[in-house]
Amino acid sequence: MSLTIEEHSNPTTLVLTGRLDTHTAPELDAALNRVLANARHARLVFDLSQLEYLSSAGIRCFVRARKAIEPGGGQVAVVNPQPPVRKVLEIVQAIPPGGIFESVEELDAYLDEMQRQVRDGA
Amino acid sequence: MLCWILAVTIPIYAGALLMSYRATARGLEAAAERDADALAGRMAAGLDAVIRPIEGGIRTVAYQLEEIDPPRTEYPRRIRGILTAWPDVYGSTIAVEADDGDASASPFAPYFFRRGATVEFSDLASASYAYRDLPWYRRAADARAPVWSSPYFDAGGGETWMVTYSVPFFRKVAGGSVAMAPGARRVLAGVVTADLALDWVTRAAGGVTLGPIGMGWLTSPPTDRSFVAPIGATEQRIAAFDGAMERPAVLAAGEAMLARNATFGVLPPGLTAEPAYLAVRHLQTLDWRLMLVIPRAQLLADARGLFERQLTLGALGLAVLIAAIWLVAAGVARPIRALAAAVGAASEDDLGFTLPEARRADEVGVLTEALRRMRSSLQRHIQLRAESLAERARMAHELEIAASIQQSMLPQREAAAALPPTVRVAAALRPAKEVGGDLYDYFETGDGRVFFAVGDVSDKGIPAALFMARLSALLRVLGAAGEPPDRLLAEINTRLVDGNEACMFVTLGCGVLDVHTGRVRYASAGHEPPLVREVEGTVRPLRAENGAALGIDAGADYRLSEGFVAPGDTLVLFTDGVTEAEAHDGSLFGLERVAALLRDAPDDDPGALVDGIVATIGTHASGFLVTDDLTVLAIGVRPLEVSARREAGGAHWRIEPEASDAGIRQTQHWLHAILAARDVDRERIDDVELIAEELLTNVVHAADSAPGGVHLSLACSLTAAEIVLTVRDDGVPFDPTAAACPPLDAAIADREIGGLGILIVKRLADGCRYARVDGWNVLEVRLSRRPETKRGVPCH
Repeated sequence: MSLTIEEHSNPTTLVLTGRLDTHTAPELDAALNRVLANARHARLVFDLSQLEYLSSAGIRCFVRARKAIEPGGGQVAVVNPQPPVRKVLEIVQAIPPGGIFESVEELDAYLDEMQRQVRDGA
Repeated sequence: MLCWILAVTIPIYAGALLMSYRATARGLEAAAERDADALAGRMAAGLDAVIRPIEGGIRTVAYQLEEIDPPRTEYPRRIRGILTAWPDVYGSTIAVEADDGDASASPFAPYFFRRGATVEFSDLASASYAYRDLPWYRRAADARAPVWSSPYFDAGGGETWMVTYSVPFFRKVAGGSVAMAPGARRVLAGVVTADLALDWVTRAAGGVTLGPIGMGWLTSPPTDRSFVAPIGATEQRIAAFDGAMERPAVLAAGEAMLARNATFGVLPPGLTAEPAYLAVRHLQTLDWRLMLVIPRAQLLADARGLFERQLTLGALGLAVLIAAIWLVAAGVARPIRALAAAVGAASEDDLGFTLPEARRADEVGVLTEALRRMRSSLQRHIQLRAESLAERARMAHELEIAASIQQSMLPQREAAAALPPTVRVAAALRPAKEVGGDLYDYFETGDGRVFFAVGDVSDKGIPAALFMARLSALLRVLGAAGEPPDRLLAEINTRLVDGNEACMFVTLGCGVLDVHTGRVRYASAGHEPPLVREVEGTVRPLRAENGAALGIDAGADYRLSEGFVAPGDTLVLFTDGVTEAEAHDGSLFGLERVAALLRDAPDDDPGALVDGIVATIGTHASGFLVTDDLTVLAIGVRPLEVSARREAGGAHWRIEPEASDAGIRQTQHWLHAILAARDVDRERIDDVELIAEELLTNVVHAADSAPGGVHLSLACSLTAAEIVLTVRDDGVPFDPTAAACPPLDAAIADREIGGLGILIVKRLADGCRYARVDGWNVLEVRLSRRPETKRGVPCH
């Protein structure tokens, strides 16, 4: 059991399947390096619906992503973490409560709202 | 046979000969007796013929003298007349009774006797010859009747043996003038005598012709001087007998025999030189005796001659008999002996004894023919038996080879060695017959997966073995192809159902053990579920769903069951040969006993467990009898880096992982296997895995810079209520529990990466405790088995 990373765009989404731990975190780090280097992202989404296991090593990856994106006004979102993963995320609070979505649809709705606010307000 | 015939025949012959001899001897004796009798008769008749006329003549003279009473001068003429009339009369006289008072009655006794051819005269009435006192006169005078004198030897007159016949004559006395005796009317006048010389008796006796043997005598009554005339006495006989015989004693013996009215008998020994018979007769005339002595030897010589002739004839007959018997016996016995020798020479291996070809019509021929038939029958029988034995030997040899082949189908010793070191496997298969329908198998399919199976074909023996061989091949092919157990069972089932005319079926349990994770995927086709012997000593069945036995239902469906085996645990698979071993009372060994056997086993090594079961059931002492094929397969998970032991209230594992991410991952696998095998909730297992990773990662990463690396271990103790993880390392002293909780609320840009692991551990655990012991960091983390009760450890 290891980690597989699937990359989608618009928004940039990494679908993580398997285990994200000390052993596999470097794979995610590498993927993040590539993704973050390619373009400036307003948003980076981690789809965790297929992630079975998450340890602090994986959380560091999420924190790294936040550190890279958020200073530029970007946002890191996590979609559909399974209970064991959610449990870890909650313990560590690595993702602010507003960054965790139950599903892709919830995220889409949130993003649409954000765009509307930007368009209307800004 | 010959001996028997002789033993019977010879006594009969001997008896017959003896009886014949005795009869002959008796016959000879009787003949001798008869001869003596006849001889006596003849002698008596001879004597009478001489004597009776003389008696009559003398009595006539006496009568005339009485009637006529001639003068004395007439007497010489009358005496001469007597001598003239009877030549045998030697001498005669008429002696008158003298009366001393009467001159006319003076003694007067003129005696005339023969001397040669002339007759001479002698006057007996001389004073010196008182004739009236002499016996020849006195006895007749006194008896007043004729008397014979005893034989006597007349020494003064004739010089010969004589007897004298004396007849008294009387004178009639008128008026009874002289009374000689009261009432008597006749007075004795004198006595007429005739002397009879016995020469003729001697001659007559001597002239008798006796048989070829014997010797006899004619004798007068015994007195001092008895007259004895030998009978049939030739010079030779007299010479032969006289010297060898006590004659007086023999005569006495004859008298003794006459006294007891015996006429024939054996002479007492000693009287004669050799044993002899004595025959005696009493003649009427003159009161004489006739005696014959017959030597026994001579008498019996005839009998002996006859006996010898009979003996010779008997011997000849016997010889002929023996020859005849020998011929017959040889004619029968020789072929029989030849047959016996021929049959006796025959052995089980070689019945080719030769029998005579010549056809005989007798019993020997019948016997030979019977033997011939027996020989050919036996040869046929032996040939059949040899063929049958050869066939049996061939079958046995084939079975031996088959058993060897079947054994070779089972994993060999090298197969166990070729398995990953994490597993230890032991197995035993004891066929009830040479070959059996049980099988077991195990092999690595690659990537740390070990396939294992135990099967039991219905029935025993060759059909089961053939079915088993087919099954074994299918298992190898499909198992090695990596088919999961459920699919594998379905696949095998499909193939076995196809063309299963014999309606054989097989129960099979098979599974795949992941040697890295302790995960077992298992499926069963009607087979007894495996037992898991746990480190704690407890025994439980592996949870598995059961399906139909293979080979019965084409559409049978099999379910995969998944479980875990903790390090130190042992999977034990077996066939019903184990559980159905029968006790004498018919009760079965049963699953409970197997479980108890495993529970009580002092050694959890698979080899020891298998041996324990086989030894317990397979020995007579157990009281159980294995009637079916018996198979046991034990697979122990024994990772090199994990030591497991039972402890009070639970079990204790100590994992010494490689100080690397891979080592950490492997540790997580073992913890997962341990907890899953002990039914800990999945969520809790996740917690423990996470804690282990966080703690070990800290140690490993902290040691990255340390020269020579670091030694670390993680122990897991499991009790009914609690899971206790203890991490030890010999790195630099570090107390994670003392570290401050990271500021979770800090802006993301300010956040430190790290320290999150400790946070996670503290939040998940019910207690954390650190100590530095003997240069080791010792961190103990406690969790309840049930996540609901967790409280979390506060941060400092």
